[in-house]
Amino acid sequence: MCNKHKILVIEDEINICNFVKTILETNDYQVLVAQNGSTGKTLFFSHNPDLVILDLGLPDIDGCDFIQMAREQSAIPIIVLSARTNEADKVKALDLGANDYITKPFGTNELLARVRATLRTSRFQGIGDRQIRQKVQIKNMVIDYEARRITIDKQEIKLTQTEYNIIELLSVHAGRVLTYSEIIKKIWGYSDSGSIKKLQVNMANIRKKLGEQPGEYLYILNELGVGYRMNEDNEE
Amino acid sequence: MHKGYKQLLSTIFTLGILSVFFIISLIIENTLNADTLIPAVFTLAVFLISLITDGLIYGIVASLLSVLALNFAFTFPYFKFNFSIPENMISAVIMLVITIMSSTLASQVKQQEKIKAETAHEKMRGNLLRAVSHDLRTPLTTIYGSSSAIIDKYDCLSKEQLIQLATGIREDSQWLIRMVENLLSVTRIDNGTVKIIMTSTVLEELIDAVLIKFRKRYPEQKIVVDIPDDFISIPMDAVLIEQVIVNILENAVQHAIGMTELTLKVFIVGKNAIFEIIDNGCGIEKDRLSHIFEGFFEKQDAPIDSQKSSMGIGLSVCASIIKAHNGSITAENRKGGGCCFRFALNMEEEHV
Repeated sequence: MCNKHKILVIEDEINICNFVKTILETNDYQVLVAQNGSTGKTLFFSHNPDLVILDLGLPDIDGCDFIQMAREQSAIPIIVLSARTNEADKVKALDLGANDYITKPFGTNELLARVRATLRTSRFQGIGDRQIRQKVQIKNMVIDYEARRITIDKQEIKLTQTEYNIIELLSVHAGRVLTYSEIIKKIWGYSDSGSIKKLQVNMANIRKKLGEQPGEYLYILNELGVGYRMNEDNEE
Repeated sequence: MHKGYKQLLSTIFTLGILSVFFIISLIIENTLNADTLIPAVFTLAVFLISLITDGLIYGIVASLLSVLALNFAFTFPYFKFNFSIPENMISAVIMLVITIMSSTLASQVKQQEKIKAETAHEKMRGNLLRAVSHDLRTPLTTIYGSSSAIIDKYDCLSKEQLIQLATGIREDSQWLIRMVENLLSVTRIDNGTVKIIMTSTVLEELIDAVLIKFRKRYPEQKIVVDIPDDFISIPMDAVLIEQVIVNILENAVQHAIGMTELTLKVFIVGKNAIFEIIDNGCGIEKDRLSHIFEGFFEKQDAPIDSQKSSMGIGLSVCASIIKAHNGSITAENRKGGGCCFRFALNMEEEHV
């Protein structure tokens, strides 16, 4: 089979490399492994992978520098592996253009779910987003981009302009975490000290209108201290 | 900004106390006509100032001002500075020495209290480390032994045996993950360079994160959630507070024998958000209740290699996290059975 997705894993810990490689290969992905940043760079340019899994703590180069370098050249999706204690690192990596992150330690299911989601959403982005897709469905919610209308089980949900804009933004990037600052920049165009609060209040209102209960968020998932993520199209 | 505020407050205190005592001295002078009392009154003022304010500087400034005031208002010639009369000069010098000494003494006492608190903290850390290093051996033994068995005896093992060994590895490493999470939180607080980061966190989102994390570990256990409907945002280090709640919930699942209902409740009293985790299990014995938040060093009746022996660490981590937030945490038995863990966080911005 030559249509397997090609995944480049850049991680210096050989044991982590091994198990990630094994899991991905047994799930029908083709895997390239680099144990330092410079090999990673070379493989990135010579093999043109479909996805990069990148450890932020590499021995030779800073993971964030790698993301920056990669983003200058291409839109190939990048998933970052990071340690739990560094929320700031996660946010930085995402703001630089990483598509998602996985916190160490992680299990096989989590890894595979993220890989699948990232590959899928990046395919959609290839076609071009809402200009072509007029409607999108997430669980029972339908977002009609043309009419700027949202329905759940055919019932229309009354939203303010800002609330709709936030949902639309998240849905275009469904499956991907958008950091607070990314959302603020795209919704309001500027940010000040009150921006985060404004976003939080809007989000709380959206949740109320969508009828979401803590612990049971169906549509907009909450990544504490990092940002928000729209659940993906009808999976799981 | 916070520091500037403190300095301003100290300055106001210093000037306030001095003027009050100045007025008292004037009254004494006018009513009792007792000049000899005045230096004592000012010494008292300076002593009070040294006690209340931080740092020597306020005490010294206050003592200098007192000497000037004494010279100006309460020694002959009245309401005139006069440093030429040797009597006045000597009393001024004595006054200055007394006040500087007393303010030095007061600062020393304060410093000693600080050192005492630090030693207690060090002791707690040492205990924690000892307990942890002991507890780490058990899961490491499983992981090391099981994986060696798989590698060495692969051909002799049945599929069931393989899976059993691998399951042991997985379970014990999950236990290690939790332990390490707790330890990381403690080092994050203790390590002077990495301060806890307070960001305003939406209560609903915090509770959501807690429930999702908890459900991953205990999918069977239901939690009754009771939080206000309003938009509530609380400044906190969200990851750490999330851990506090998960630790307490987990403690209930493991120790509250006979529990049928577990409740997570949040309500607002004045400027505080009160979090309560309530179970209807067997409650906690009285003698353990009093030091349940430092319970990691007492190996109670649980067998030493019991997995549960780690939970004391969980609760003491809770206590230090809440302390770092300037909050308070308590545990008590309920009248109807079971127990209630309660902690409070201040809702005002820039509190810490």
